[in-house]
Amino acid sequence: MSSIQLENVTKRYKDNVSEMIALNHVSLAVDKGEFVAIIGPSGSGKSTFLSIAGALLQPSEGEVFIKDKAISSFNEKDLAQVRLEQIGFILQTSNLIPYLTVLDQLLVVAKMKGSITEEMKQAAKELLKDLGLEKRLKKYPNELSGGERQRVAIARSFMNNPDVILADEPTANLDTVRAHEVVQLIAKEVKYRNKAAIMVTHDERMLKYCDRVYRIEDGVLKEENL
Amino acid sequence: MFLALKELKHSKGKFMMIGLIIVFISWLVFVLSGLGTGLSDLAASTLKYAEADYVIFEEDTDFSLSKSILSEDLEKKVLEQKGVEAVASMGTVSASIRSADGNEENATKTDVLVAGIQPGSFMEPEVSSGKNLTSSSLNGVIVDESLKEDGFSIGDELAINGYTEKLEIIGFVQNETLNHQPVIFAQMDKFRAIKYAAPGSDNGIENPVNGILVQATDIDLDAVNEEIDGIEMGTKDEAVKSIPGYAAENGTIMMMLWFLIIISAFIIGVFFYVLTNQKTQQFGVLKAIGGSNVFVMKTVISQVFILSTVSILTGIGLTYLTAAVLPEGMPFNLRIPMVIIYSIVLLAISVLSSLFSVIKISKIDPLTALGRVE
Repeated sequence: MSSIQLENVTKRYKDNVSEMIALNHVSLAVDKGEFVAIIGPSGSGKSTFLSIAGALLQPSEGEVFIKDKAISSFNEKDLAQVRLEQIGFILQTSNLIPYLTVLDQLLVVAKMKGSITEEMKQAAKELLKDLGLEKRLKKYPNELSGGERQRVAIARSFMNNPDVILADEPTANLDTVRAHEVVQLIAKEVKYRNKAAIMVTHDERMLKYCDRVYRIEDGVLKEENL
Repeated sequence: MFLALKELKHSKGKFMMIGLIIVFISWLVFVLSGLGTGLSDLAASTLKYAEADYVIFEEDTDFSLSKSILSEDLEKKVLEQKGVEAVASMGTVSASIRSADGNEENATKTDVLVAGIQPGSFMEPEVSSGKNLTSSSLNGVIVDESLKEDGFSIGDELAINGYTEKLEIIGFVQNETLNHQPVIFAQMDKFRAIKYAAPGSDNGIENPVNGILVQATDIDLDAVNEEIDGIEMGTKDEAVKSIPGYAAENGTIMMMLWFLIIISAFIIGVFFYVLTNQKTQQFGVLKAIGGSNVFVMKTVISQVFILSTVSILTGIGLTYLTAAVLPEGMPFNLRIPMVIIYSIVLLAISVLSSLFSVIKISKIDPLTALGRVE
């Protein structure tokens, strides 16, 4: 069984006059240890795809399986639970909480699950060390560089030991060197921790780190041959 | 709590400002409460803190001690009623006193209320200094401590303007005032000699008193009112509220107090609502990485709770400091039960006001975390 599987997923947005199809019968399965990239121009349905895969949005038709759970009929509370336990998000512009130190950014995930144990603290420190942040534990986001912030976001996404890692334009605000570093790190951690990962990007220089590449255009998903 | 505390610590300045507003408001609430109790004590303390449950007046006298005249002999009949445990008669008369040494024209005079009681009845307060009333010395009176500030002390002889009767201070009592005047407790016979000195002024009633205070449990008011002719019995509260000016005075202070509390609720509510609005994106991120609605709401509610608690406690501290520097004659009485009640009300209402924010949070879509919605 794949870690994440989308089956014939369609998403329509309706307004008073017209109906827009953001995703058109999209199917995709990603296994453990696989790093998949999705590229496409803006407005192609990339964000909708990520939202549905990340249990943030429900499809109009089709089914999403996270491991063996079909989530299209889940309510808001159950979806939050799925996000907490099985999905790790790396968001565009990192989206860290401004008043938390680097270590606390990770511990807040632990706190959502219950209380913070010494074990979790150790795990968080370990993760941050892996990402070369062991000297920045007590820093606040505004004291970090863009690349460091994104590395914290990567660490946070692994903190809940999820099945699926979803990255939304992780290189959006970084220069070339940092961008390569960040994506390399994601690829390394995904392999090392054996997670299924999907990265949405428009940055085609990053594709060489991925196992498979899909292109999305007008809501239709096609595999690219590299 | 985790996020709430971290943010409070990180953005001290921002939260200090709103905290300061709550401090000032709660300070004002407690000071007003102290002044309110002080004023109402001035108007009614002798009756308000009397260890009585009910008061009996003459029928159709609007629960007024000055209008009502009863016979002390009624006491026996009242005691026979079901539920009645003890009774104590009381009579009051306004008077103007001066030191017996001075002459009537030049001496400083002080307005007081002379209250006639039977020595040893439950209406006789404990003295804080001096001796209690004894039937052996008819002239002895125990007086409210505020008379000390007017230069009176134990052993002083008092003369009453317009009367030849003499009184002697034998003890002081605390917080005994009625109709905004300090109370002088005298023996019943002495009181009668003053109030009913003129023949016929007692309406021909034997052993006249103005009211009978009753200690009772499980009493049937209507039955007693029907059983005994010519009386009207009410609860102590009713009697206190009938004191001239009492209700109006209290109403004014209470209105200010409750307005303040409501205003503070709005200030806190709006402040946190604006803050929540600013943090929509942040809360979206928290929801996107798996935070439930409850988790996010808890951070705001516990922030309001922590901030209010600290501010209210500071307010209480400032109030006691204020009380310490207030001039002696100021009617200020901060009662601990009141402080507790208002603290709880202030706290409850501020937490309740965070409801606006909670509703807002429940509507935040975790999709906002993606920073763009197609």
